Amino acid sequence: MSTNTNVLNVSFLQDLFRRYYYNDSNIIPTPRSIEKHEFGYTLFNSAMIRHLSFANRGELIAKLVKEAPLDVFCSNSYYSFPMNSLQTKGWQGADLIFDIDLKDLNTPCASKHSFYVCNACGACYTSSVTLCSSCSESNFSSTSIPCNRCLLSLKTETRRLIEFLKRDLGILDENIEIFFSGNAGYHIHIDDPLFRELDSSSRADIVDYISGNGLLIDSLGVRKFKNGFQVKYPKSGILFGWRKRIAVDLGFNQVQVSKLTKIVESNGGYNGFKEKVTSTARSLGIRIDPQVTRDVHRIFRLASSINGKSSLIKAKVEDLESFNPFNSACMLGDEQVYIKSKVKVKIELKGRIFRIRDTVERLPAFVAAYLISKKLADFVK
Amino acid sequence: MKLSLRLGPADLAKYPFLDEASNYIRETTFAIDEFDRPDMDHIVRRAVNRLETEISTGKVYTNLERYEVEILTFIVTLLLVKTLDLEPVTRKYSLLEAIRAEKFLTDDLIREKSFSKKKLLLYKVFEDLFSIKIDASSDTNLLKLRVPDYLIRATKMNEQEWKLINRSVDLGYVYLDADEAVRLIRSELSNLIYKRIKIMRVQSIPTTIRISANKLRKSFAIYSTFNKHYPVRDYPPCIKHALMLMNKGENLPHSARLMLATYMLGIGKHTDEIVNMFHNAPDYNEKITRYQVEHLAGNKGSRIIYSVPSCKKLQAEDLCFATTACEGIYNPIQFGRASKGVVNEH
Repeated sequence: MSTNTNVLNVSFLQDLFRRYYYNDSNIIPTPRSIEKHEFGYTLFNSAMIRHLSFANRGELIAKLVKEAPLDVFCSNSYYSFPMNSLQTKGWQGADLIFDIDLKDLNTPCASKHSFYVCNACGACYTSSVTLCSSCSESNFSSTSIPCNRCLLSLKTETRRLIEFLKRDLGILDENIEIFFSGNAGYHIHIDDPLFRELDSSSRADIVDYISGNGLLIDSLGVRKFKNGFQVKYPKSGILFGWRKRIAVDLGFNQVQVSKLTKIVESNGGYNGFKEKVTSTARSLGIRIDPQVTRDVHRIFRLASSINGKSSLIKAKVEDLESFNPFNSACMLGDEQVYIKSKVKVKIELKGRIFRIRDTVERLPAFVAAYLISKKLADFVK
Repeated sequence: MKLSLRLGPADLAKYPFLDEASNYIRETTFAIDEFDRPDMDHIVRRAVNRLETEISTGKVYTNLERYEVEILTFIVTLLLVKTLDLEPVTRKYSLLEAIRAEKFLTDDLIREKSFSKKKLLLYKVFEDLFSIKIDASSDTNLLKLRVPDYLIRATKMNEQEWKLINRSVDLGYVYLDADEAVRLIRSELSNLIYKRIKIMRVQSIPTTIRISANKLRKSFAIYSTFNKHYPVRDYPPCIKHALMLMNKGENLPHSARLMLATYMLGIGKHTDEIVNMFHNAPDYNEKITRYQVEHLAGNKGSRIIYSVPSCKKLQAEDLCFATTACEGIYNPIQFGRASKGVVNEH
């Protein structure tokens, strides 16, 4: 990609982003105890700037309008001194956050709507290549336009996660906030003071619980005994949590020990049953990004801010079933501009379908911004 | 929570660290120098015997007398430990005292027929001392506590059975047997007793106790030399911090022990030397420590060689104490070597 093309793309996007932060800042919610959060942002073509703090909402919005950054982040942690270095910030607690990302769901259709863009010249390919035919470079970024099937998979996984949070962890509906990440995922924020004080180890344990990782068959009552095994249900029973989940899936219950014994035998004894339970737990668990939940010093995309990878916003989801990210998260202007698309692609934004050809096209700014952010088009005029 | 019931004398004998036990002493207007009275001699001897048993053998002193004797013995034991002023002894005594109370409490919770008495015990120990809300179920004999309260404590345990996934979890509560619930607070109870000893301010120690402490000092001489202050060299700050805590005899969390052991293995330290580093841990057991270090080295168990956790992971686990000297590294093992570029966190 030539420097000039890059300058035009950046200038177009930055102008749109600035107008959004200037005209629509009212939809950006104020983070609770804003003065206790660490903020950070990346400017176009620059590294991340972290350890920032804002005393109030006005200061934050003024910064966004002034800088019109590519991405804006806010910590889930509350600090005494958010501007200090990590060791001297004075950690006070952090909201619990889960991230469900499309890349972790391994949807079968992923390859059909994935593109590979050369980082040197910007050439675009519909399948993975090792060498760019235009410039012979070998450094590529992958980008994707999620299809409806992908979006449905994300919703299903999010719904399953929320069921875990409510049913097992006892988190109330009113303490769960769902956000579309702005690109290809959902962030689930838990606003519950009981969970706020948990350290990283406790959060890691929650991650393992949600993901179905580390389940011992002893906790189901199956123990190694001499050269075989014996079944003796734990005193706390198998009526709740993962014990119940596995019992229902494999078809045993608390009343008939003999049923479980038969199942263990049919799986080849202790070790075979252990493998069966491990794989069942993995398939029943939720595919969340473990590092996101574990890390208590992470900064997350600010709610209602623009995601630089798509030009869509991190939008709050009021009703998961009816939520359509391509409508609700598409907030940029609709003035007509010209772009040169690198691919033929069909996209649906703000309820309108756009069939893009790989030529110069006149399109609304929000469509242009989406494709340029995905590196699938360049701004013309 | 309003409770009309009160703990009886037998309870105070088992749980002398409760406020009620302190109140008892206050009400009897017993003065500390009264331990020099001849009729108090058996109390002092009992306290000495208790300390000798616990510190020398590492076993819990299970002998239980009537409550007046128990409360007074407890006080003398605290005074002896305070006078000795040997950090490893203070840590070990606190831990064994917690295990002793744990044993009594488990038995009481299992055997107690009266539901309200059971709830009172739970309230006094869990909620009063440690602000943990815990409830008993009248029909299943199980105890339940909130998930965050459970996690804060269970993640300090090394065994996989304590992972939340291996527990009975429903609607925000974890269901536990009495012994499991009581085991959860061992470390807090130990810290409570440790702090009581540390903050004790005594004008003058009674002569009999001072003499007994001096005698004990001779038999505990090993503890003044075993306090091996491991040389803190030019290690990364995270390792230095862990060694500093270990030198103080503090109970390092599992994640910190893993970091320390894998780092030392990574820089080529011998297993014996690494095992020795953990010598000051209050729960030190050479056999177990050796197995664990050999396991991490890939010589035992799964035969997997464990690598040093990354800086990113250590940051997330609050084990990172980075200084400017850490710039450019992404694993403590690289400390002091060439920088490899800064990793951005978001």
